[in-house]
Amino acid sequence: MVDRRLAWLAGIVLFWGAAIFYKIVSLQVVHHGEYSELATANQVLVEDIPAPRGTIFDRNGQPLAMSLPTESVSIDPLRAPDLAVASELLAMVLHLDRTALYGKMKWAHDNRHRFFWVKRKISHEEAENLRDLRARAGLAWIHIQDESQRHYPKGTLAAHVLGSVDFEERGNAGIEQVLDAELRGQPGQTRMLTDVKRRGIDSQAASEMKPGTPITLTIDERVQFVAEREIAAAVEAHHAQSGSVVVMNPYTGEILAMASYPTYDPNLPPQRGEDKTGRINHAISVPFEPGSVFKVITLSAALETTDLRPTSMINCLRGAITLFGRTIHEAHGGYGTIPMAMVLAKSSNIGAIQIGMRVGQTNMHQYVRKFGFGRKSGIPLPGESGGKVRQLARWSSASLPSMSMGQEISVTTLQLAQAAAVVANGGLLVKPRLVSKKGGQTVPAEQPVRVLKPETAITMRQMMEGVVMPGGTGTKARLQGYTSGGKTGSAQIYDPAARHYTHSYNGSFMGFAPLTNPAMVAVVTLNGTHGTAGFGGQAAAPVFHAVVTEALRVLDVPKDLPDQAPASTLAKSDEDAADLAIADIGRGEPNILEDGDEEDQPDQPAGPTVPNFRGMTMRAVLSEAVAKGLTVLPDGSGVARVQDPPPGSTLHQGERIRVQFAR
Amino acid sequence: MATLPAFFRGTAETGFPAWSDSEPERDPFRLRTLPQEDVFFYCKKIDNGRLVREADPQARGACWSAIGAACVLLAVLTSVLVPNVASTLAGYKLQALRVEERQLRDEERTLEVQEAELLSPQRLETLAQGQNLVAPLSGQVVRLNAKGDNAVAMVK
Repeated sequence: MVDRRLAWLAGIVLFWGAAIFYKIVSLQVVHHGEYSELATANQVLVEDIPAPRGTIFDRNGQPLAMSLPTESVSIDPLRAPDLAVASELLAMVLHLDRTALYGKMKWAHDNRHRFFWVKRKISHEEAENLRDLRARAGLAWIHIQDESQRHYPKGTLAAHVLGSVDFEERGNAGIEQVLDAELRGQPGQTRMLTDVKRRGIDSQAASEMKPGTPITLTIDERVQFVAEREIAAAVEAHHAQSGSVVVMNPYTGEILAMASYPTYDPNLPPQRGEDKTGRINHAISVPFEPGSVFKVITLSAALETTDLRPTSMINCLRGAITLFGRTIHEAHGGYGTIPMAMVLAKSSNIGAIQIGMRVGQTNMHQYVRKFGFGRKSGIPLPGESGGKVRQLARWSSASLPSMSMGQEISVTTLQLAQAAAVVANGGLLVKPRLVSKKGGQTVPAEQPVRVLKPETAITMRQMMEGVVMPGGTGTKARLQGYTSGGKTGSAQIYDPAARHYTHSYNGSFMGFAPLTNPAMVAVVTLNGTHGTAGFGGQAAAPVFHAVVTEALRVLDVPKDLPDQAPASTLAKSDEDAADLAIADIGRGEPNILEDGDEEDQPDQPAGPTVPNFRGMTMRAVLSEAVAKGLTVLPDGSGVARVQDPPPGSTLHQGERIRVQFAR
Repeated sequence: MATLPAFFRGTAETGFPAWSDSEPERDPFRLRTLPQEDVFFYCKKIDNGRLVREADPQARGACWSAIGAACVLLAVLTSVLVPNVASTLAGYKLQALRVEERQLRDEERTLEVQEAELLSPQRLETLAQGQNLVAPLSGQVVRLNAKGDNAVAMVK
């Protein structure tokens, strides 16, 4: 009897043990993977770590654009028990229109979408309220996700340079767009082991978060602010359509300020139906006929390619010249025979035409290209225009006189600054730089290209000083305590629809200070001014004065003149400030602004290419050189062995080829 | 009320059930006996002072061995468990610190933005205009710190 009971007991215990063993094997072996995954899903929380977009600083380390963490709300519409109630709740907490939200949620639900953004970038209070609601009501279908939001703490300051970002924080304008790949970081993920209350116990980086690269611009926010303030005031005062200012270091090409007006606040997303003019960077994107400021290029080319000097007398024909059957007059009055320096100071159109004719088409075209016109400067901003310079083959007989005074060519404010820098820095064409550092690494500057001989540049500076001195057209640009030089420009605006020049002007001024060792060049352009008050000397020169005075103070540039008020800086009459370029000399020809982008192609070499003389006899070398218009300095006898410059290199203006002959 | 033993005892003695009506000799006014009524307890003082516990070295050794083993087991368990517990607690603390670090970084960035907003040239100019201040002319500012620290300056 007892044995039987014991046997039963043993059997039951054995069965029980077997059942436990079976369950253990089932849990630990058969369904190990499945349960392991379930456990991991329960215990391990995968968290996205948003990578903050790189901060953009000005040259002094002042933040101009920063990203801050924020939160966005999404839902799973299929899990929401009652869409009407859900939309009511969410609309109340997130301050949304209930009907519109319900419609969108219904659409997402009907289309079986499992994800729907309710509101992006919500405020801190909204996030707290929603979190409370979700916790209290157990609304697991509401998700609050970490995101980041771009802030531009200085508001409209340097808006056109910085650009803006879209909702996904992708750059859609300015530096934000061009350097998007560097500014945008790489989000990371962590796997966090949590307890039953979802408190983190341990975490492991699944993928490392890489924050965006901080970018340091060459912009100085103080100079930028003054430039924006002054151009805005000038545009308003002269009822102009737009305006732009570029302030640049002539030696390094660093852009200290780039202002464009009208402007916009990059913190605010573009609104439907908003006027897009404010978002256009007029300094780089809107080319215009420069007018008289371009005479600087004409005279520079003349100094380099002809025997004209500042004291050379130019016959200005008492204010009238007959070209192609048309008699052309000066803007105001006329001059007789005056020195070339005076042609620039008075901005004589006929004088400039006379000088341009001496330069010749080929040289003029070559120097225009050398100064960087007709091609993009390469500044890292989107939407840059290269302006337009017609190919030499397409020049008409009127092109040379027109271009001599700044017609039949379109340029941007930045290109004018680049050209002014050539004169200011001793003859080198520098590439404009906007980015100083990327993540602590200095961005190397490109090697400048020589355009003018140093002595030509110095002569031009001296002549340009005459423009701001009494009697010149740009006296309003004269600075107190600093020497300066510049050139005014006023050009009638061409109306492509009506196909004629209007009575609106592009008033501009380009200049530099101090004269002997310029610390900066600045170019001011006002588009769409009216009347003589809208000429460059009247409208743009005062802006140059205000901006450069402030910039010199901010940059601690020592004065080079005694501290005294300048003599009357006012032009004695409108005539003194008249620098209007004669428009439409070549009637019948299409205006340059109507041309296609024909010369946005890669540049031709600036000068002729040096042929390979090696192995040739002296007779053959000389005949080939004569045929190509090159000057050869032979040395020795026999066949050519060594030559300098080497074959294939570009020959600069006035440069000769040395060829060593040996047997 | 009679207890069950008393009840059965009574019924066994009579040979009839207790609720039987045929019990004429029982005095209805007699009190029932209390249980253990006839048992008397008394105390007797016993002096065990002369008793001496016999020495048992084997039991003593076993006892000490048990105590030692328990201590070793406790030490082993402690050494195994404490690091795990400490590690878990440290994990909690680390996570909390990481969260705090992220919050502080976010806060720092927020404050930087606020600072930048406060130092905006536009705002400073508005404040300066409100107090009738004008920008110094060039050369009016003398930096007292030769290292170029902009914070220390004097206006002539």
